[in-house]
Amino acid sequence: MEPNSPLRHTKHVFRVGLLLLAAIVALILGRSFFVPETFGQYGSYRGGNVSEQAAHQVRHGGRQSCEPCHADEFEEQTAGGHRAVTCEVCHAPVSLHARNDEKIADMPMHRSADLCLLCHQELKARPGSQPQIQPRQHLEENGGEPGPESCFECHEPHSPL
Amino acid sequence: MSENKRCPEETKPGVATNRRDFLKQSAAFVGAAVSFGVVGVILPDDVLGVETVAYDWNKHRWVYLVDTTKCIGCGACVRACRAENDVPEHMYRTWIERYEIAVEGEAHVDSPEGGEFGFHPLTSGMEIRKAFFVPKLCNHCEATPCTQVCPVGASYTTRDGAVLVDDKRCIGCGYCIQACPYGSRYLNPQTRTAGKCTWCYHRVTEGLEPACVAVCPVGARIFGDRKNPDDSINEILATKRVQVLQPELLTKPQCFYLGLDMEVR
Repeated sequence: MEPNSPLRHTKHVFRVGLLLLAAIVALILGRSFFVPETFGQYGSYRGGNVSEQAAHQVRHGGRQSCEPCHADEFEEQTAGGHRAVTCEVCHAPVSLHARNDEKIADMPMHRSADLCLLCHQELKARPGSQPQIQPRQHLEENGGEPGPESCFECHEPHSPL
Repeated sequence: MSENKRCPEETKPGVATNRRDFLKQSAAFVGAAVSFGVVGVILPDDVLGVETVAYDWNKHRWVYLVDTTKCIGCGACVRACRAENDVPEHMYRTWIERYEIAVEGEAHVDSPEGGEFGFHPLTSGMEIRKAFFVPKLCNHCEATPCTQVCPVGASYTTRDGAVLVDDKRCIGCGYCIQACPYGSRYLNPQTRTAGKCTWCYHRVTEGLEPACVAVCPVGARIFGDRKNPDDSINEILATKRVQVLQPELLTKPQCFYLGLDMEVR
């Protein structure tokens, strides 16, 4: 090429252009590598996480999940004074006990006064409408023997009183 | 170590060989980036399927209501929350506070183990004027500070109103935990990511109530949909005198309270 040709600097421009192109390619590749695909789908977060959150396993099935196998207890419980207390409050989440209509483990049976006192220990902060006792006084008045299962001598937990 | 020491000497002799090496390494890096990029980014969404949820979040706007006048402090909600959501020990997505206010005006507040195992009578010797329980949880604020401070977009608000944490994005920096004025977040010691109440998003999207609401034996916790005119929660919010915690912070909590007292923050 002639030393005075107007195109004598073309190769420099070409090199800069190549560098710019390489930078753009690196940026796009870098973004696809570091930014998760669904990021920005709904907002500045990973959209895919919404369905991941919704896919978490449900553990508490509610009373209706107990009824098919325990119809008698269900009938007794829903008619009694404890009808507002669902099975899983005193037992355990149904997912520990059954899966796909098959029993996988025994359901815990807490036969302890401590369980009853969670709701019925007399406390100043409790609303007056809640039935509450002072355990020692209650046993003395009703002639019960103090012990871990003392409540069940008189009370049937599924349908108390 | 030995390779590191050799490097400075090798860079000296000729520029050309180094440029060639540099280009070779760059090409290798770009090649690796392309293959990882394609496999790593596209695969998970193919497998998980983003749009598999039949639930339409545009049709709901969830709100939560706590009736403190009904709470008996039994802790069933705290235990159910732990079981439902694998909440680590000594961390709480919901907890119960007990307020006992003496005749002289002095307030005693406690929450042993978050109320998980109930409460025992207090023998402070104070003459109690009034006492009550206040269940607490994430307020799922509409103008929440916790999602604003997240540097990686791990914390966000869904269109139906739940404030969630993406534990795959979370780097465990803890900014959101400090930003929350209600102490609703914790750092999960196992995953080293932020944890918080999700309003049991996995249950809500299945048409179930959050676990804490489902087990409450006295109906102190109510969950409802503002976009459903037949939902009884709208009647309560419209006709009863409801409050939110720390309204002066302008976070617009979406967890409302009946029967709050001055001492409750």
